[in-house]
Amino acid sequence: MSPQRLRIFRWKAVGPLLLFLLLLVVLWIVFADRIAREQAESNLSETLGTEVDIASLRIRETDAAVDIGGLAIADPRDRMRNLFEAGTITVDLDPVPLTEKKIVIDEVRLSGLRFLTGRKTAARPADPNSPAGKLLSETRQWARDKFQFPKLALGRIDTVKSLVLHPEQLGTVKAAKTLLGTVDSTRTAFEQGLAALQLKPLVDSSTALAGQLAKTDPKTLGLTGVKNSVTSVQKAIDRIKQAKGRLQTLEQTAKSSLGELQKGLQDVNAARLKDYSFAKGLLQLPSFDAPDIGASLFGEQSTDYFQQALYYAKIAQKYVPPGLQPWNRPGPKRTRLAGTTVEFPKEKEYPRFLLRQGDIDLATGSAAQNTFKASFAGITSQPALLGRPATLVASGRLGGDSPVSVDLSALSRHFGSSPKDSLQAHVAGVSLPAIPFPGLPFSVNPGKSTMGFGFSLAGDRLAGSWEISSNQVSWKADSTRLQSASLVESTVWRVISGLSELQVRAELGGTIDSPTIKVRSNLDEAIAARLRGLVGEQLAKAEQKARAAVDQLVDQQVAALQTKVNDLQSQALARLPVERTQLDGVQQQLETQLRRLAGSAAGGLKLPKL
Amino acid sequence: MLTLLKLLQSLFKTLHSEGTPGQVAAGIVLGAGIGLTPLLSAHNLVLFAAIVLLNVSFGGGMLGMALFTPLGFVLDPVFDRIGLALLNAPGLRALWTDWYNIPLLPYTNFNNSVTLGSLVFWLVSTVPLYFLATWALARYRATYGQRVMNSKFMKGLQASKLYNVYSWFRPE
Repeated sequence: MSPQRLRIFRWKAVGPLLLFLLLLVVLWIVFADRIAREQAESNLSETLGTEVDIASLRIRETDAAVDIGGLAIADPRDRMRNLFEAGTITVDLDPVPLTEKKIVIDEVRLSGLRFLTGRKTAARPADPNSPAGKLLSETRQWARDKFQFPKLALGRIDTVKSLVLHPEQLGTVKAAKTLLGTVDSTRTAFEQGLAALQLKPLVDSSTALAGQLAKTDPKTLGLTGVKNSVTSVQKAIDRIKQAKGRLQTLEQTAKSSLGELQKGLQDVNAARLKDYSFAKGLLQLPSFDAPDIGASLFGEQSTDYFQQALYYAKIAQKYVPPGLQPWNRPGPKRTRLAGTTVEFPKEKEYPRFLLRQGDIDLATGSAAQNTFKASFAGITSQPALLGRPATLVASGRLGGDSPVSVDLSALSRHFGSSPKDSLQAHVAGVSLPAIPFPGLPFSVNPGKSTMGFGFSLAGDRLAGSWEISSNQVSWKADSTRLQSASLVESTVWRVISGLSELQVRAELGGTIDSPTIKVRSNLDEAIAARLRGLVGEQLAKAEQKARAAVDQLVDQQVAALQTKVNDLQSQALARLPVERTQLDGVQQQLETQLRRLAGSAAGGLKLPKL
Repeated sequence: MLTLLKLLQSLFKTLHSEGTPGQVAAGIVLGAGIGLTPLLSAHNLVLFAAIVLLNVSFGGGMLGMALFTPLGFVLDPVFDRIGLALLNAPGLRALWTDWYNIPLLPYTNFNNSVTLGSLVFWLVSTVPLYFLATWALARYRATYGQRVMNSKFMKGLQASKLYNVYSWFRPE
């Protein structure tokens, strides 16, 4: 009996397999919208670092389109507020790139947009370990580290606080100690250099040679004796000349080192000035310079805007890398390890994501009330493939009775030599929220205002401006705290509460590592003048006290250091001329003897060439 | 519960009499592919279809999947390193770039380090795994097989109606 032939295929399983595939199709039809909605919520939330909600999502497979309803993006910095809401979003997809798992949106239309709306429930905070969560905390920390504004809200300064300083707190002490070590090493180096010249043996031997020749009659030496004597004298003179050269080099080195020490003394004095400021800071004295007042009142508010802009610019830089290099990004969230997903962009191919054209139709309320148009284009995950920047342009008027006019433009260029993200916005007639003054018991409500905001990040260079202008401001004070307010606080309140106009402008510059900010307002000079008149005398006393406290700790050390530097200078500069004079003297003696030998032999002796 | 019962049925039937050791081992190897790699990848659909359509032990496939899924979780960090090394290898960059831009291929998630690493690991281990499973199964049947088959537990399991469903996929 021959063995039964083993069949490779199990044809009767085709039916169940087709049923299984059918089941998958049915499951897709039933759950695809839900899965896509949840996936979109999850991905957007992770990318933006804030909760993103989508009320509905419907995939229209036959039209290659997606309808999204009720999109809400929470403010990552205020969990009870939405930054942005969209009533409906229609996304028309290009079906061909979908076969390559790439999303290319031909057109997207948004309507029913609302900004800065309240939320019923608090938004979920960003996962602190997600890339966006990390960026958010990094930019917050950046703002805290790089911008420290003087406080205007101070205690009373009619009695100056006692001041306790420790030497280790002072830069002067550290600088003096360092310089003292340098003085000692300079002295040692100078003395070693001088000893290495061996001037004394040279002077002694040369003097002895000159003395010996002075006692000798050249005629008794004979021709050979004279020749030998002349050679010896010439060699001695050469040695002296070489020693003088080395002495000159040593002198130049010494002068240079002494110059460095004098510079070090200047640094010690500069450190002392810084210590005065430090001690003054411990007294928490108010600064009544006008720029400081602007920074005190509006510095935090302006930093807040710049910090948000920087956060979004960094998000853009993180998710939209320049160039066509393979790009590693975190893998999809799943029960298994997410791993790393690598993208391999290729010229003349589709990018992973591209939004060709988007239009915003603000059709809230009566259409006649809104004449607002916005469009955006070229938003892509691989700008180098597209070769042009992503742009957003919006302008128009919103609302009826009290319209708000908006002009907005944004550009994101992530290809070429350095990426650049910039935004310019100008909004007129907008009701701005109240601005609290840090540490002070009052705030300003700007009312209907004009606001301008500009920001750009090019490489690591920052530039930005934030300004508000209003002539309808109102002031609100915490009456309880105001009753017990200090002289500074009550003075500031008296000055500002009579004003109805507010002009603030903040300018950002520098780099991410060394940013600069200037804040000024129309309140600055008025407050500064009043405060200087009221508390200037007390302030001067307090400053004097701070200086005295520093002087007490550093005077002795600095004086000792000064003496040491001066001593070294005088010793070095006094000793070198003496050595040089000795060398000159002995050289002169030798040259005299040389001339004598030459003169005596003039009759017939042929002397070595002089 | 039903799934567990079905799995137990398939496990014991597979170990005892359903198909030759080679058919069972081939099923185990294919099931290991599904178990070792992340489930939601397009290649797993191909592997599943192969288990169903090819004349290998379906129970072996389920057994392989059950055994190797936990192992996959444990080995994920290793897969991640293997996959990332391959994806970042300069010599393979042109290949990955071509694959990334070919229709349908990106749906396999080959460009994910864990997916690629686990798939490569599975491919490399298929041959040794096949021979190891064949040898182990033959040895089991020759030693403990008959005793387990005669146990009350096994008889009760065989009496379950679900066995009928499973029997559709018995190797011939």
